[in-house]
Amino acid sequence: MSADVSDLSLVRRVQRGDKGAFDALVLKYQHKLVKLVMRYVRNPAEAEDIAQEAFIKAYRALPQFRGDSAFYTWLYRIAINTAKNAVVSRDRSPIEYDLDRNSSEESYDMQGRMKDSETPEGLVLTDEIRSTVNAAIEALPEDLRTAIVLRELEGLSYEEIAAAMDCPVGTVRSRIFRAREAIDRRLREVFEGGLGRTEELG
Amino acid sequence: MNEELDSQLSAMFDNELPPAECELLARRLSRDEQLKARWGRYAAIGATIRAEGGARLDAEVARRVRMAISTEPELAGTSVRAHTGPLVGRWWRPVAGGAVAASVAAASILWLRLQTTPEAGSVIAQAAPTRSALTAGGGAAMSAVNVPDSYVVPAKAPSRPSIFPPTQLAKYVVAHSEFSSPVTRRNLLSALMVNESGSASSGPETNEDVEDDAKSPQ
Repeated sequence: MSADVSDLSLVRRVQRGDKGAFDALVLKYQHKLVKLVMRYVRNPAEAEDIAQEAFIKAYRALPQFRGDSAFYTWLYRIAINTAKNAVVSRDRSPIEYDLDRNSSEESYDMQGRMKDSETPEGLVLTDEIRSTVNAAIEALPEDLRTAIVLRELEGLSYEEIAAAMDCPVGTVRSRIFRAREAIDRRLREVFEGGLGRTEELG
Repeated sequence: MNEELDSQLSAMFDNELPPAECELLARRLSRDEQLKARWGRYAAIGATIRAEGGARLDAEVARRVRMAISTEPELAGTSVRAHTGPLVGRWWRPVAGGAVAASVAAASILWLRLQTTPEAGSVIAQAAPTRSALTAGGGAAMSAVNVPDSYVVPAKAPSRPSIFPPTQLAKYVVAHSEFSSPVTRRNLLSALMVNESGSASSGPETNEDVEDDAKSPQ
């Protein structure tokens, strides 16, 4: 199985003018990209801004994407370059003196906290998502938990998981799906639980 | 929600769905908001398992990107040609590169020949009458006062890089040395040596031949 076949089918749709397909790609990779960018900037809010900029650059450059490499590899390079440029331009910008803080590192951390505190519902939701997913994983039967963890944490393919768990590939696919369904059932309740942000996932 | 569809979605999320099914599901995914919401939650589940700390697990980035993209023009008709296979569309690249390099090399050789041949010819033409000219002229050397400074080189097109046979040139130098100044003689000998070294590998005559010929009386 090609490692990038589903991404490529979405990419082809975007190249034909389907913006909804790009939305699916963003939904899939937003967390990974923010985590990647946070290697360069410690402030989560700034990382989100850079990730957003990288996605927009990727959308504009998508007509030149030919599928020679995996979509995420290509996106990864764009994000890295965007992050590096952001760091360079930030370093060139005038220094804001703050008598209460001594190091720039502290300054960035504080900026992050201040910016996050502006959207407390985002933090609350994130915490709730985390605890719900973790609780749901703990409640999974052993075979389902192993399958989903091998896939998501270790990044193994279905074939590799099948070899590790000594079962057919079809069984792996079914176990991972059932694990996701079980977790998603509880996660949906969080999103529909009154925070009013359900539509933001869709 | 159709369980089979959800199962396909889960496999597609992992890049484990056959390409034909992917095409159909990608089309549906881009239009079905419920399906896309589920897809987004699958991403959040994965991020939680991987403990991607620092990142928010709601879809704030996606929401902002969606808003920004909504003002962008659609990409339809601007995409590059789809990559159809691992080799198709690539095989010609090294061939074309080699062809360009060969063309440049050939053009350089031709250019160098055009640059060197007339120049060498001109040196000889200005200073060197052919052996036949000398012999045919008989006592022409004696009446050199009335002869112009340049001589006519036969227009025969040379088939080798050296336009003048070294032996013939050597004989000419000897003959000419009787009437030329020491400086001109030395220049001619230098030209001869250069010409000799250039044609030594391919020419039938050796330096010894030239020296022998040069020593022989004319």
